[in-house]
Amino acid sequence: MAGVRLEHVFKKYPGSDKASVTDFNLDIQDKEFLVLVGPSGCGKSTTLRMIAGLEEISEGKLYIGDRVVNDVAPKDRDIAMVFQSYALYPHMNVYQNMAFGLKLRKFRKDEIDRRVREAARTLEIEHLLDRKPKALSGGQRQRVALGRAIVREPQVFLMDEPLSNLDAKLRTQMRANISKLMKRLETTCIYVTHDQTEAMTMGDRIVVMKDGLIQQAATPEVLYNHPVNLFVAGFIGAPAMNFLTGQLVEDGGSVRFRATGINVEVPQGKASVLRSKGYIGREVIMGVRPEDIHEEPVFIEASPNSIINASIEVTENLGHEAFLYLTGLGKDNVIARVDGRSTLREGQNVKLALDMNKVHIFDKDTELNVFEAE
Amino acid sequence: MQNSKLQQLESLLGAAVELRTVPASEWEKAGGTPDPEAGETLPVPGGTRIVIRASGTEIQVCDTELALTELERKMLHLLFQQKPGRAAAATDMERQARKLGDWIVQCSANGEWRAEIPDRIELRSRLFDGMIPFLLLREQADDKEPSYGDLEKAVRSFITEDTLLIPLREHEWLILAPDRLLAETDALEEDGESGEEKAILASLASGLHQMVSGEWGGECHAAVGEPIDPSESIVHTVYILRETIQLGRKFHVGMQVHLPWLVHLERLLNGIPESVRNRFVEEMVGRPDLFNDPETVSTLDAFFSMDCNVSETAKKLFIHRNTLLYRLDKIKQEAGLDVRSFNDAVLVRILLLLYKVTKRK
Repeated sequence: MAGVRLEHVFKKYPGSDKASVTDFNLDIQDKEFLVLVGPSGCGKSTTLRMIAGLEEISEGKLYIGDRVVNDVAPKDRDIAMVFQSYALYPHMNVYQNMAFGLKLRKFRKDEIDRRVREAARTLEIEHLLDRKPKALSGGQRQRVALGRAIVREPQVFLMDEPLSNLDAKLRTQMRANISKLMKRLETTCIYVTHDQTEAMTMGDRIVVMKDGLIQQAATPEVLYNHPVNLFVAGFIGAPAMNFLTGQLVEDGGSVRFRATGINVEVPQGKASVLRSKGYIGREVIMGVRPEDIHEEPVFIEASPNSIINASIEVTENLGHEAFLYLTGLGKDNVIARVDGRSTLREGQNVKLALDMNKVHIFDKDTELNVFEAE
Repeated sequence: MQNSKLQQLESLLGAAVELRTVPASEWEKAGGTPDPEAGETLPVPGGTRIVIRASGTEIQVCDTELALTELERKMLHLLFQQKPGRAAAATDMERQARKLGDWIVQCSANGEWRAEIPDRIELRSRLFDGMIPFLLLREQADDKEPSYGDLEKAVRSFITEDTLLIPLREHEWLILAPDRLLAETDALEEDGESGEEKAILASLASGLHQMVSGEWGGECHAAVGEPIDPSESIVHTVYILRETIQLGRKFHVGMQVHLPWLVHLERLLNGIPESVRNRFVEEMVGRPDLFNDPETVSTLDAFFSMDCNVSETAKKLFIHRNTLLYRLDKIKQEAGLDVRSFNDAVLVRILLLLYKVTKRK
C-alpha cells in the first residue's frame, strides 16, 4: 500500500490558454479514502487521469509511495481503475474479465484463479462467473468492474464516478458496499464524484475543486461547518446554504447584520472578529444553513435578537423533514429545514429565529469566510 | 516529442529549435502540403518549420532560425521516415505485418482504394473472409510507445490468438480480428440484428481502447468497422477508419472511440467549403456568442445524444428536469430556435457541429 503525493501539478492542453488543473498540491495518506468533488469541468477527472497515467502531467511531480511516476506507464504504476464507463470486455465472461489483467502480467494460473474467486466471493458475484457482460444487470456489471480492479491488489484504487450509471437505490447500496470494501482492503483510494452526498458519506477527506484549483481539502465535518469560501459553502450541503447580502452595523455596543427583512444581532465572539478585521459598516454576505433557521417556539423565545419574519411561498414535506421556501428576506428565496410534523403551510407569515452562532460571514469581494481566514 | 530527441535535432542542426503546435490550416496557408508527414519542412519567414507529428486539425512543428537547403530538407525528411527498430524486426510475423502495412500505406498514398493484396505479401493467405477491422491511433512520446511485440501480445490476449496486428504509419495500427468474435459475444441471441452487431462492435472497440490506454496511457483513438474481406477491401477500410477518427476528433473533441456509422452527418458537413460554413453559421446564429458557453454546448450535445429525450438528458447531466427545460428555453429565447421541435433540432444540431469546427480554433 502507498500514499500519493502531488507537488505543484499543472495540466495544460495544447492550444488552450488556461490550465485545466493549476498548482495542485496534495498529500494523500496511505489507506486514506480521498474524494475529489466539484462541478463538471473543475478538473477533478483530469487530476485523476494524471494520477492514472492516462494524461501527461504538464508540470509538477507525482509520487506514488516514494517513487516519482510522471514518466511511468499506467501498467507499471501499480494502480487499478474503475471508471464511469466501465467497459467490460463483451466477448469475455465475468471470470475472464476479472482475470484478464493478471493474465496479461503472466500470473500463474492457480494464483489468478485464487484471486478471481476471492474477489468474486467478496463482491458476491461467484454465481455470475460464467456469464457474459450482456447477461448482467447494471449493478452486477459495476461489481464485476470493481472485481477487475480488486484482483490486481494494487497500491492505489482510482475511481471516476463509478456509480453514476446506476439508479438512485442501487447507488446508495453500492456506496455503502464500496466504503466497506475499501475499509476491509485497507488500500488508498482516490474517488471522483460530482455528487456531494457521495463525497460526504464516503470520504475520509474531501477535496473541493473549481476551475482547476483546490478550494478546500478537509474532512467532511470541517468542510460542512468551516467552509473557507462562498463556493465551498454553497457546494457542500443540500439544500444549499442560504446567502444574504447585507451590512454590518454597530448598534448600542453590539454588531448587527441588516438586510431586506432582516435585522439580527451577531454574537459577541463573532462580533469581535468582525470588528478587529474592520468589517463594521461594510457590505458582507451572511451564510445560513437551512437547518439553522428555527421555527420551534422555545428557540424563538430564547433568541430575541435573531428573529426574522417571512412568508412561506412553497413547502416541500419529505415526511421526516420539510423545506420552507421563504420570501421577504434578501433578494432570493431562503430555505429553512424544519421538522416534518411542522404545521406551517404555504401563504402563511411566520416568525423564525436564526442560530447566529452557526452563521458564516463572507467578504463580498474576496468571497472568503471571514471567520476561517487567517 | 521527447526532450532527448529535441536535443538530438538541435545538435544535428547546430541551432536552437522551438516546439510548437499550429493549426493544420496555418500550415497549408503557408504553402505546406495537406496531411503532411513527419519530417516535411517549409521555409517560413525567419527560418524553417519542420513537421514533427500531424494529427487531424493540429500539427506539432519545430521552428528553427536556419534556412535549410533543398538537400538538407530532403535528408531531414528521410531521417524522420526511418522508424525506430524497423531494421531489427523481432519476429517473422512482425516482418510480414510490416510488409503488409507498408503496402497499405503505399496504396493509400496513391489513392488505390480498391487494390487487392498481391501474392508477394505473405500474410495474404491469413486474410480470410470476415475479419473485424480496428484502427488504433496513439499519440505518445516514442519512449512510452509499446513495441510491436508487447502490443501484439496484449491484443492477442485480449481478442484471440489469430488476431493480426499491422503497423501502418507512425503510432497507427490496424488490427484484424476474426468475426467469430461477434458470435461468441452475442452467444445468448443467435439472430443478432444489424443494430445489435454495431453495439457489440462499439463495445469491443471501447474495451480495446480501455485496455490499450490502461496499459500504456497517453492519448489513444480507436475506430472499428463492420466485418470485411481484407483481401479485397483492406485499403478502403483503412481509409474509412482513418477518416472516421479524423472526423471524430474534429467534431467530437474528447471522444476517443469513433464509429463510422455515427459520423455520416459530420462527413457531409466536412465536405462543405469553409467560407460557406462560416456564412451559414453567421446567418443562423442570432447571438454569435451563444455556443461560446460550454454549458450550452454540453447541454445540447447531451440532448442530441439522448435522442432529444428531456428526462434522459437531465439524468445524464445530473441536473433536474426543470433546470434542463429552463436551459432549453433560454436557447430558444436567445437563438430563436426551439430544439424540442424536430426542424429546429436539425438546424441546431448542424449549427453546433459547424460551430465547433469554424469557431473553435
